[in-house]
Amino acid sequence: MSDILKIEPIDNWLKKNNWSFYNHQVETLKLSENGFDVLLVAPTGGGKTLAGFLPSLNDLINNNSKKNKLHTLYISPLKALTIDVHRNLTSPIEDQGLDIRVETRTGDTSAYKKNRQKILPPHMLMTTPESLALLLSNKESKNYFKDLKYLIIDEIHVLVNSKRGDLLSLNLSRIHSISPDCKRIGLSATVKNKETVLKFLTSKNKAKILNVKETSFPKIEILETKTRVPWSGHMASYAIKDIYQKIQKSSLTIVFVNTRAQAELVFNKLWQENDNNLRIAIHHGSLEKEIRRKVENLMSLGKIDCVVATSSLDLGIDWGDVDLVIQIGSPKGISRFLQRIGRSNHKFDEPSNAILVPSNRFEYLECLSAIHSIQNKLLDETRDKKGSLDVLAQHVLGVACSEPFQVDDLYNQVINAWPYRNLTKTKFLEVVEFVKNGGYSLKHYEQYSKIGLNKDKLYAINNKSVRNRYKLNVGTIVESYMLKVKLGNKTLGQVEEWFIEGLNEGDTFLFGGRVLEYQTISNNNIIVKSTSHTHPKIPSYAGGRLPLSTELSIEVRKLLSKKQFWKNFPNQINEWLKLQSKFSNLPSLNGLLVETFPRLMSGKQRFFLICYTFEGRNANQTLGFLMSKKMLRIGYKPISFVATDYALAIWSMNEVKDVNSVLNEDLMLDDLYEWLEETPLLKKNFRDAAIISGLIERSIPGQKKTGKQVLFNSDLIFNVLKKHEPKHLLLEVAREDSYRGLIDLDRLSEFLKRIEKNITHKKLDRISPLAVPLILEINRQTINKSEMEEYFLEELENEMLSEVGLN
Amino acid sequence: MKVINFNNHKFQISKEGILFWFDKQIAIIADLHLEKGSSFGHSGQFLPPYDSEETLKKILNTIKDHKIKKIILLGDTFHDKNAISRMSKKVIILFRSLIEKYEVIFILGNHESKFEIGQINFLNEYVIDDIHFIHEALQTSVFQISGHFHPVATVKSNIKKITAKCLLHTNNHIILPSFGQYTGGLNITNPVLKPFLNNESKIYMLTKKSIYKFTSKEIEI
Repeated sequence: MSDILKIEPIDNWLKKNNWSFYNHQVETLKLSENGFDVLLVAPTGGGKTLAGFLPSLNDLINNNSKKNKLHTLYISPLKALTIDVHRNLTSPIEDQGLDIRVETRTGDTSAYKKNRQKILPPHMLMTTPESLALLLSNKESKNYFKDLKYLIIDEIHVLVNSKRGDLLSLNLSRIHSISPDCKRIGLSATVKNKETVLKFLTSKNKAKILNVKETSFPKIEILETKTRVPWSGHMASYAIKDIYQKIQKSSLTIVFVNTRAQAELVFNKLWQENDNNLRIAIHHGSLEKEIRRKVENLMSLGKIDCVVATSSLDLGIDWGDVDLVIQIGSPKGISRFLQRIGRSNHKFDEPSNAILVPSNRFEYLECLSAIHSIQNKLLDETRDKKGSLDVLAQHVLGVACSEPFQVDDLYNQVINAWPYRNLTKTKFLEVVEFVKNGGYSLKHYEQYSKIGLNKDKLYAINNKSVRNRYKLNVGTIVESYMLKVKLGNKTLGQVEEWFIEGLNEGDTFLFGGRVLEYQTISNNNIIVKSTSHTHPKIPSYAGGRLPLSTELSIEVRKLLSKKQFWKNFPNQINEWLKLQSKFSNLPSLNGLLVETFPRLMSGKQRFFLICYTFEGRNANQTLGFLMSKKMLRIGYKPISFVATDYALAIWSMNEVKDVNSVLNEDLMLDDLYEWLEETPLLKKNFRDAAIISGLIERSIPGQKKTGKQVLFNSDLIFNVLKKHEPKHLLLEVAREDSYRGLIDLDRLSEFLKRIEKNITHKKLDRISPLAVPLILEINRQTINKSEMEEYFLEELENEMLSEVGLN
Repeated sequence: MKVINFNNHKFQISKEGILFWFDKQIAIIADLHLEKGSSFGHSGQFLPPYDSEETLKKILNTIKDHKIKKIILLGDTFHDKNAISRMSKKVIILFRSLIEKYEVIFILGNHESKFEIGQINFLNEYVIDDIHFIHEALQTSVFQISGHFHPVATVKSNIKKITAKCLLHTNNHIILPSFGQYTGGLNITNPVLKPFLNNESKIYMLTKKSIYKFTSKEIEI
């Protein structure tokens, strides 16, 4: 093969390591040489990254195009991945003494290095969508990208359906206008809709998908344990001993969890179990960068036996030879699970090993469904997403920062980006107006316009400070306000502000695998001290919870509805379901089981209503909003509700006797719009859109604003805007995001139609076996509606009055 | 409305945050921060420019059904010294109708400068029957009604936390919540409010629907 390839240095390097080219690597090169843009779809392992870089390496080595110009741009959704790929690529280059400069550029890159990259561009630059947007907003960006020959986008499938993807897509289109001959290569994990990913990658007709079939199938099992699978919870503490044994038998295990809280707890419990002094580490997004780097390094050196990790280790980084992946809790999505499994045995032709550990009974069903789906090659769908207008607003300003633009030219460039292909000119002009001065019908901010027409009738920024401010606000990820956790002079990581609000001095909590005592907040730092306590008072904090994919939800419903499947269930699960069928009913495949029962809550009589919809958390949440609204109107006085992936539990002061009165098709007609306008989600989405679009700044130079203040202010703005400009661009964005973020509403409407005449209402005198996990779940979510607040305040006041004997 | 007895006078607080002294036909309002929204314009943050309109309309609507002759504005009526120049025509008309219909007393706030806003005559304080109307509360024993702090309070239950604007009443102090549409809040747990709180303090939380009265003990300050 090396004859065809003629990339001697790479070939030599492969030979030296006893490796050879894979077919798909050669194919990628050939296609690219022939002028195709290529989407390489392959399971993890198998030299996907090298395949992506081969055409570019080939060009650099053979075509002598080694000018001091940027030749290849590599974009990845993860900073860590850019560093990893940089390292992997440097190895053959240094080994063969090639004169190719490879550098990374991310938010972590020093100003000095960034400046040097401006003056002397590397041949290959590894970066993220955000850093790319920043680079492109520089004044000299056109010159910088003029000679770009190759664009490689890694893990492109995770970008397609997101605002980050919108931003990237707009910038890809911009690069295309600067260097039209630049070839693109996309690298993707196995996904269902490859065509969509290809369209996202390139608008060229000369484009091909290269699909690499799996040669081996992962070995997946559910952890066998003699201990009881608990009714509720997400921590899987029951299985720690068994997990520890599995870790002991493997050389390097990754234990994947879904939330940071789980990571902390599992890590802590494993160490309590650690009689053999295994080297167990922890890795999650809240930990300080240096701490994470250290763990990654130890992994690649083989100096660690086990890492407990969240999605921070999900994507294609190879830190050492992982031979076992343990997934605690349901993976919540088939594609995500496959990606995680792929972390083990990162070799193309050997099967990966994975063990699933359900943390509660419902999750046991979910885990079974996940395995079933993988065996039957059912993948999650990558839904197409319409390009968001808040991202476009950010982009328009970015373009103006780099150079003056002509409206028609930019419009044509924008609609060349896949997510924006259907954008109308009118909408585009509306966005430009918004960028200019807020887009209000009241022309209030003319004198402050950010962009305006210059003497050549081109739109340009009105002063330099616009560019500086733009640079502080680039990106589509709006994080909640984080505070640094400080132990002495050492920064351990960050936690959300809301977590600390609930803490009092002296409270202990788990962080970075240790128990810490909270002392105080000083200068936006959380000051903690070490403590001898082994059991933290505050269990830990949630964050980063993953939603269950639609496809997996359906599988679970099927599994539950057919008793013949149950014989394979462990006894305890079997008994649980049998008990439920005796005590109440089991959910059927097409109907809806509703249970109602009274129950004391904080010493007060409450009436619970449970709907076992199995439609996923988002749909249940929406249903919960709509039903409480209806219940409120009828006078049942709903207090709150909890929605899980499987069911919805609403509790109220008065008993719901006629379930049909609160659960019918009219629900959607009556209250949907009104409901949407009132959800906290809409306000949150509005805040995000306001920040992404640049209406509110993330940070004002020299002025410290806490995340909380931003939220408060954006709520006030939201209310005023709703009243005065109900059709404002940002409200439109927030509404669209809410519909998309919650459910496709069609599905809920279908559900209501389906179950209307098929509701089984079980009136019970106490809680049912199936409802136990739900009731235990309560307290985690509450609805945030003003009416509810009124009840609560009334109640609290009465409670206090009666306490002092006045009522 | 809830009744507050203060220095042997009867006051009433409305859920909108206006303190009425009906015996004297006076309405007392704090911290309007007019044109706060547009003050961010120069930094390129184009907040919806409708806050002043909302604030002024809410005042007019709330007091129109009562027999009121005089309005005391407790300072920070304008967000900054250029606020009037940024007002829209609509806002100017509303503002005029306010000062034409009522006798308006402007107390000077820290956001304002005595000599630079329109023709307005700002007072450092205003006294009626031994009650001093000032912008920021002083730690003296005279009876004072003030604003400045934008107090909000949080009540917790085992289900959730609620934060709302509130009025503080402690011995010789009444501290009003901010009234302006875009004004944020300072939680009463903040140390700067400590001198004006004790076990006897009463906290009136204002919500869209009603007013809820708590003592400082119940709020855990």
